[in-house]
Amino acid sequence: MAYSELIKNFNGIRDYIRSFYVYGFNHRNDYTQKSTRSYDNERRRVESWLGDYMTFGQDNEGRRFYISVDSRAIPENPLYRAFRTKSFTDKDIMLHFHILDILAPNHEYSVNDILDELYERLDENLPEESTIRKKLSEYVKIGLIEREKQGKENIYRLSRDNIKLESWTSALAFFSEIAPLGVIGSFINSERPGIFYFKHHYILNALDSEILCDLFMAVNEKRSVKLITKKLNVKVFPLKIYVGTQTGRQYLLAWSMEIERFYFYRLDLIEDVEINEKFYEVPELQRFMLINDTENQEAFTEILTQKVSEFTSRVWGVSGGVDTTKIKVVDDNSEREKECRKVDTTFVDDKSEHEKICGKIDRTFVDENSEHKKVYGKIDITRINFTLYIDDGEEHIIQRLEREKRCGKIEKVDANHWEFSAEVFDALEMLPFLRTFIGRITDLQCSDERVIERFNQDVQALSEMYKI
Amino acid sequence: MLFNEIYSGYYLATSSILREALKGTLTKKKFADIVNKYAFGESFVTILAGLQGGKWHLLDDDFTPKIENIPVMPLSILQKRWLKSLISDPRIKLFEPDISGLDDVEPLFDKDMIVYYDRYTDGDDYDDENYIAVFRIILRALRERKNLRIIFETRLHEAREINITPHYLEYSEKDDRFRLVGADEKFRWIVNLSRIINCEIINSGQFYELPEGIIDSVTFELIDRWNAMERVLLHFSHLQRETKRLDENKYRVTIYYDHYDETEVLIRILSFGSTIRVMEPESFITRLKERIDRQRELTKA
Repeated sequence: MAYSELIKNFNGIRDYIRSFYVYGFNHRNDYTQKSTRSYDNERRRVESWLGDYMTFGQDNEGRRFYISVDSRAIPENPLYRAFRTKSFTDKDIMLHFHILDILAPNHEYSVNDILDELYERLDENLPEESTIRKKLSEYVKIGLIEREKQGKENIYRLSRDNIKLESWTSALAFFSEIAPLGVIGSFINSERPGIFYFKHHYILNALDSEILCDLFMAVNEKRSVKLITKKLNVKVFPLKIYVGTQTGRQYLLAWSMEIERFYFYRLDLIEDVEINEKFYEVPELQRFMLINDTENQEAFTEILTQKVSEFTSRVWGVSGGVDTTKIKVVDDNSEREKECRKVDTTFVDDKSEHEKICGKIDRTFVDENSEHKKVYGKIDITRINFTLYIDDGEEHIIQRLEREKRCGKIEKVDANHWEFSAEVFDALEMLPFLRTFIGRITDLQCSDERVIERFNQDVQALSEMYKI
Repeated sequence: MLFNEIYSGYYLATSSILREALKGTLTKKKFADIVNKYAFGESFVTILAGLQGGKWHLLDDDFTPKIENIPVMPLSILQKRWLKSLISDPRIKLFEPDISGLDDVEPLFDKDMIVYYDRYTDGDDYDDENYIAVFRIILRALRERKNLRIIFETRLHEAREINITPHYLEYSEKDDRFRLVGADEKFRWIVNLSRIINCEIINSGQFYELPEGIIDSVTFELIDRWNAMERVLLHFSHLQRETKRLDENKYRVTIYYDHYDETEVLIRILSFGSTIRVMEPESFITRLKERIDRQRELTKA
């Protein structure tokens, strides 16, 4: 098939753009998931779309292409261009402009009128009637045209609205970059007046827009979804989107039918979303919610909001913690029982700080009926507290602690010491935050000893690394 | 729904080309400029074949259009739903868009569906009337390219007055803050909007160009332990950078940052612990060492 710079599905290009943008160190031969010819085509496409930002470095192994951009220096996300590359047929574009032209503002036509008009314009090039009818239905669904029954006929006209877009110019320039699914804003107005620039701006999240859009639809309609990934499919009830303003990642907080607890799923690992049944048609969810009147949307929302709130009040970042129910680890030859986290490893970082504690699990020992588990699985709460030394004149450190903490409290111990304490599901998640106070931590206590151990090991390793 | 040809660069370019053709102002150069603006590096040949070549039956060889009206595309349902969603955002108050016409539209999302879990909690107050007034004056000055007189509170809690040429507003997602970036005859100014007490447009004064910011760099080796490679590179992905693989688990990364953000970058590097080893500059390493040494002493004690 001849090369085209346009593509049919967006999903295939996500990994390439991610690799060019985030990693930037790969050479042609490192792209092993598909043929080198596929790589050549995809690189050529990305170069065609984002040529101004694509660059390359040369080393012994050859050229490595990467996307280089300081997102603070640009008023618009260049990756949005990738969403303007959907392929189409000659008939698609021909019908698009002719149909919208025939239905110019204030024109109303029946389907037969439209067919006659098209025949007049296109003569022997007129597509089949079914193709034209299909295009009309598609545009009604998208909302470009309206269909109204008048007598026995359907009448078509351009969609009408009273939206004063000229009053939205500045808001569009801002929210198209900042709001979720900002790419849709860029479709409304791609002109940027250069009034707004953005710091700490993770433009890569745009690549997950299709997934995010489907998830918002499902949340709105209170429907369960199947998340389709490279490794497996997971059935969940989607709840909220968690956006990292410091990690560059987005997560879905959902209630998992499989493990029957709240769980976070990385959006960039989801390849497709299948929207399924309404909330009251999911038996696992009914059990969890403990409501009889299953179609009572108000009661459902109220109970769920409460349960989500209970759960999230002890989440530091995006980890729902370790399920410490005694679980038999079946891939461990020793057959010993150990504390194990029930994880769907597709969505956690391979080799991550959390993952090492877990193997494949046999749920024989899960206490299915525990009251605690009905809320969020049987998860131990970890208590953590640390004390900082803050010198006179360094009050900005207290302010920093105050603004960066996501739960817990801060108390003054004496003139130069302040204590932070919190109860969270997974204190290991707090290690990066803790390390930002290196040089000030006079005391660290945690009911999960691994946190203290890891912190101290790190300070030791850093000391050795810098020969202190 | 979102990835659809109706939003494509080809459709956008074609619409603009047809508009020019209907006005009778389409030339070969304009054709090429439009394709260059709205489509991509290799689009020209395809669009030319589609339009002038007659495949799409929209334009004759001599650029006579085969449609009768200036192309318009109504907003799609998706676009309207996205616009409606913005109304629940507290920052919409800053802009005063006319929200009529969206009454019957279902929002695509609302603010309660999204949690910015690691955002700082002392962001700007978008309900504050003075803040809103200041924001709107600055926005007007930027649109009309006018100078501003601003009075703001310094870090030492003193009021200071300056006349500047505003260049843009910078928003930080992590800080949830707006900053005004502008210039006077001597300096590049970055002022937090929340610190501005008063602000007015002045209709006189020279227009000052914005001096370049100072860019520093730091180079570090990254050990891919606990998936650090992906986490670190994604974390710093908003900055200009270059990465080389040294061996299977080791990478050399150089990131470029604003000189005034050095402490922030230092803290962010520290947050990754011993997976990052800074190689240069020496001044950066010295600052790191001071903190690590202090912590070592505290841990011993």
